[in-house]
Amino acid sequence: MYGLEAISAHNGWAMALAGALIVFSGLVVLWAVISQLHKILKIWDKKQPLLPEDLDPDIEDEPEDAPLISLPKELPSDINEVAKLYKPLIDEIGDTFYLSSLYAIAKKNEFPHPHITLSAFRECEIMIPHGDGVFSWNQPEENEKG
Amino acid sequence: MELLFQFLSNTGYYLADYRQIIMIVVGTVFVYLGTAKEYEPLLLVPIGFGILVGNVPFFKGFGLGIYESNSVLHYLYFGVTTGLYPSIVFLGLGAMTDFSSLLARPILMLLGAAAQMGIFFTLLGALALGFLPKEAASIAIIGGADGPTSIFLTAKLAPHLIGPIAIAAYSYMALIPVIQPPIMRLLTTRKERIIHMPELREVSKKEKVVFPAVGVLLCCFLAPASIPLLGTFFFGNFLKECGVADRLAQTARTAIIDTATIFLGFTVGASTQGDVFLTAKSIGIFFLGAVAFSIATASGVIFAKIMNLFLKDKINPLLGAAGVSAVPGSAREVHLVGQSEDPTNYLLMHAMACNSSGVIGSAICAGILWSFMIVL
Repeated sequence: MYGLEAISAHNGWAMALAGALIVFSGLVVLWAVISQLHKILKIWDKKQPLLPEDLDPDIEDEPEDAPLISLPKELPSDINEVAKLYKPLIDEIGDTFYLSSLYAIAKKNEFPHPHITLSAFRECEIMIPHGDGVFSWNQPEENEKG
Repeated sequence: MELLFQFLSNTGYYLADYRQIIMIVVGTVFVYLGTAKEYEPLLLVPIGFGILVGNVPFFKGFGLGIYESNSVLHYLYFGVTTGLYPSIVFLGLGAMTDFSSLLARPILMLLGAAAQMGIFFTLLGALALGFLPKEAASIAIIGGADGPTSIFLTAKLAPHLIGPIAIAAYSYMALIPVIQPPIMRLLTTRKERIIHMPELREVSKKEKVVFPAVGVLLCCFLAPASIPLLGTFFFGNFLKECGVADRLAQTARTAIIDTATIFLGFTVGASTQGDVFLTAKSIGIFFLGAVAFSIATASGVIFAKIMNLFLKDKINPLLGAAGVSAVPGSAREVHLVGQSEDPTNYLLMHAMACNSSGVIGSAICAGILWSFMIVL
């Protein structure tokens, strides 16, 4: 049996329609919940702490949350100079790292436009990709010496 | 002398069949693409080498072939036929996945849902071409562009098709740079492709810890048949985010997923013995796989355009193409197409959000299809 006849005989139309609706409704519900998640957690936070660090309100003032370096008002135009500013962050997360980790720590330290900078590092081979979002740091000074 | 002739008649040179030679050529191409061209090497190298091993001619009855019940390869293949390896791969995948971008922009989850439409269109196409419902469901899941999910569902519904379906799914994942960009360009205008996405908000640690628990409950309550995939996926992600099991998360995303990937790829490759693989059905599966993957890509892009009709802050429709669950290949391709139009356009993080949603969506689809087929 082939064609529309086969689809109807095997209940194909109903399966496709129901399947599409179920997966869509499932992800819509998940979207609705996670879009409100941060608001729910804020309300929850006001009532009681969830994670151990919340027990100590001073934890946010600890030095490890403070920016690792002080930044100039504008980043230098030379990408190698910018790379030097990023070096303390690399020392913090290790020479082999996830792109998302470097992005997060750069944002935490208030580096301007980290996504554009990281993209430039990739193009200049200051960051070497190893697949699956893992990169290693290729120090510019070493490049020049090599 | 008789002993020598007997030995020679048992060698691969004597027993070779033209179908095995064809498959050995296919395996060689896979290994070449994986090593020399670096196309998805972590997938193509084990599969390609597995094809070479699986197609060495041998004397039947010695317990050598993957389909002979007492062979070593058959025991390794057990992890495929039971759905064990895909489940383990999902554990590692969960431990690798960062949901920050999805949590920061949850609406992108809808693009992951839209891209699953390819699966259901292909289900109809496969039924129309004469495949049985269980076979059609296994073929349709290729549209999710998720190798482990395809293998898992096929192992449950149509184990005799694991070889062609796995090879088709992984081939199309490796061919993302060839298949997706033309569809993306065809369905979008330049003006749409240069839409910049706003920087994502900071996501709190608590959100990331709570999400896997919420996700597993909502998804698995809806489609309990997806527990073997989504249960381990969200568990792996919880290990990563909870902050007290870093050692376990590290092992899950390195040694465990690598081990499962090696055996999964190698045994799936070895299962493509020429005599069972080179059939008219395999050609149909490859054709439908391409259709499924293309429709999935197009569905995501078109749905993003439809969303833009109602949204104040427009979404770059290219992101819809990352709604398939080929992580991170399709996200990378969306980013590259966006950058080819405007080098300052940085879409990777947003595309990863759609990709993560696609993984969840295709696993739910697998669960739904499996449930439908149980009642047939």
